[in-house]
Amino acid sequence: MEPVVNTRTARWGSYIVAFLITAIIFATAVYASNYFNNKRIADVQATQDNISIDILSLETQFDLLAEHSCEDISENSVLSTEIQPLASRLSYLETQQGVNQDELTRLKRYYTLLQIKDLLLMQQVANKCNLKPVNILYFYSNKGDCTDCEKQGYALTGLSEKYPTLRVYSFDYNIGLAALQTLVDIHDVKNQLPALVINNKVYYGLHTMDDIEKIAPALLKLATSTATSTKVR
Amino acid sequence: MGIGAIITFTLLFISIYFEVFLLMAFLQHRFSRIPAHKQAAPHPLPHVAIIVPCYNESETVRGTVNSLLALNYPKELLELLIVDDGSTDNTLEIVQEFKTDSRVRIFTKPNGGKHTAMNLGLQNTSAEFIGCLDADSSVASDALLKVIPVFNNARVAAVTPCILVREPDTMLQHMQNVEYRLSIFNRFILAAIGSAFITPGPFSFFRAAVVRKLGGWRYAHSTEDMEMALRMQKDGWLIANAPNAIVHTSTPRTLRALFKQRVRWTYGWLRNAIDYRGMFGNGTYGNLSIIVLPSAIFSIFAGIYFFARIMYGAVRASISLVRRIEYGGIHMPSSFDLFYVNTSAVLFVVYVSIALILLLISLGSLIGTGSKKPPLSTPLFLLLYSFLTPLWLGAAVVRAIFKTGVSWR
Repeated sequence: MEPVVNTRTARWGSYIVAFLITAIIFATAVYASNYFNNKRIADVQATQDNISIDILSLETQFDLLAEHSCEDISENSVLSTEIQPLASRLSYLETQQGVNQDELTRLKRYYTLLQIKDLLLMQQVANKCNLKPVNILYFYSNKGDCTDCEKQGYALTGLSEKYPTLRVYSFDYNIGLAALQTLVDIHDVKNQLPALVINNKVYYGLHTMDDIEKIAPALLKLATSTATSTKVR
Repeated sequence: MGIGAIITFTLLFISIYFEVFLLMAFLQHRFSRIPAHKQAAPHPLPHVAIIVPCYNESETVRGTVNSLLALNYPKELLELLIVDDGSTDNTLEIVQEFKTDSRVRIFTKPNGGKHTAMNLGLQNTSAEFIGCLDADSSVASDALLKVIPVFNNARVAAVTPCILVREPDTMLQHMQNVEYRLSIFNRFILAAIGSAFITPGPFSFFRAAVVRKLGGWRYAHSTEDMEMALRMQKDGWLIANAPNAIVHTSTPRTLRALFKQRVRWTYGWLRNAIDYRGMFGNGTYGNLSIIVLPSAIFSIFAGIYFFARIMYGAVRASISLVRRIEYGGIHMPSSFDLFYVNTSAVLFVVYVSIALILLLISLGSLIGTGSKKPPLSTPLFLLLYSFLTPLWLGAAVVRAIFKTGVSWR
């Protein structure tokens, strides 16, 4: 390449064009990011709608078959398996910048309602079919006032992975949903988080996997149960 | 959006703006070459002196002088002034081997720094143009004939060459090889927009009358080549680049040596920037003061910030992972889920920035070697070098704040 040398005169036109090109690059990046975030929101929304249909379907099925067909209920249980992965998807969206916060809060409230519905239905199934479910209600806060909530979350994730049929229901204590407030009142859960409700008893503070296994020995039975049987025992 | 994200976006915006600006300048100038008649070597050729300042260069000086003696230039018009700056090894003994050549003159003096060696050379020659070649570099035989015609423009006070890494061997040298390709692009394009502010030690040439008028070389925080360039710019001269004048230079083999060299360069740049702060943002100096000098300072702090942010993120992720294992045990990750692929705007912008850097490296290769193909070690450079750079940037900033000074060796 041949030498080129010029005066250093400022060229304001070039500065402006470079600025516009850079702005277009950034605008494209923000647009692309928003596009993918919206797609994620839509995915979560679709999953929640599916869960809602699942729950309604099970309720209907349950009503139709009544108590004499518990065997059918347990074997064909359709308690949604999608509800648990949804929690981690929502947690992930919470960490992403550029996600519409109002939309996310709406999804979280909807998710909370679905969990409560799932919980109630499971209790109904358990009562009528004489099952002994093991589930954990977990109350947390992500307002920065719960230092142990992150660790508690890991312990519960670890338990869920160890016992795939265990159902952990996670509730944001501060989500401001009347149905959740009722659940909090029923179990008398105080704002001392993290809080776990196991077998209708409330436990405050951080509990490791070992602690929880000691509190709920029925978990050990889950370890030996097969995935083809009912979701809850 | 948090304050951290705002700072990150702002710094990324400025970084990409500068890259885009340079690319635009390249596209504008690559077709506006100097006309052929102005590129022709002047007739008769001018008297040229090349000063080789040496301080403990026994391992490389022989190759350096041999390459200068092999320059394609009339013997009677070329002087080699080898200045031994108080070496404590056998550099002087080695350079004495060349004293029989009519072009070579050897000087020795107590150690005083590169600027004193250059000034001694300046005092002992009447050449029209003075070059400098660090004793760790060697030149292509036609390099001088590529440099001299650029001085046909009477406003050009200095001409810089195209510097390539000599026989890269270690991983660090291979990474520097890529970095030097970027520098080739920068040197070329900054000259094209009249904003070069460094005349590097390996084979930069100066109009002797201008150097004398400006008072010769000065002590300048161990970066005399930078100070001289800034002084020339301040006095209204142009600094050109001759991309066909090829020089190969030795680069540090070890991280320790590289760290020391780069701390010196960055420290020198920061201290010189303080000395010449009046040029920043001053419209008189056009592109140099409005875009180039502020960007050069900005890049130091942006490099440190990005490094700190990445390290902070890595530490947080590590703590999180340790906690996850401590409280949740070790579990196989679930199958790949597109949902969790990071699609943040910052990441997209980082990808664009990396693509632009890759393009600049490729253009640097094109300018320096004629091939657009970047060196094979480019991925290594992109992956690792940005983690090494902040080490010396940080050290240099601290030293510059406390004015500790730096040594050459």
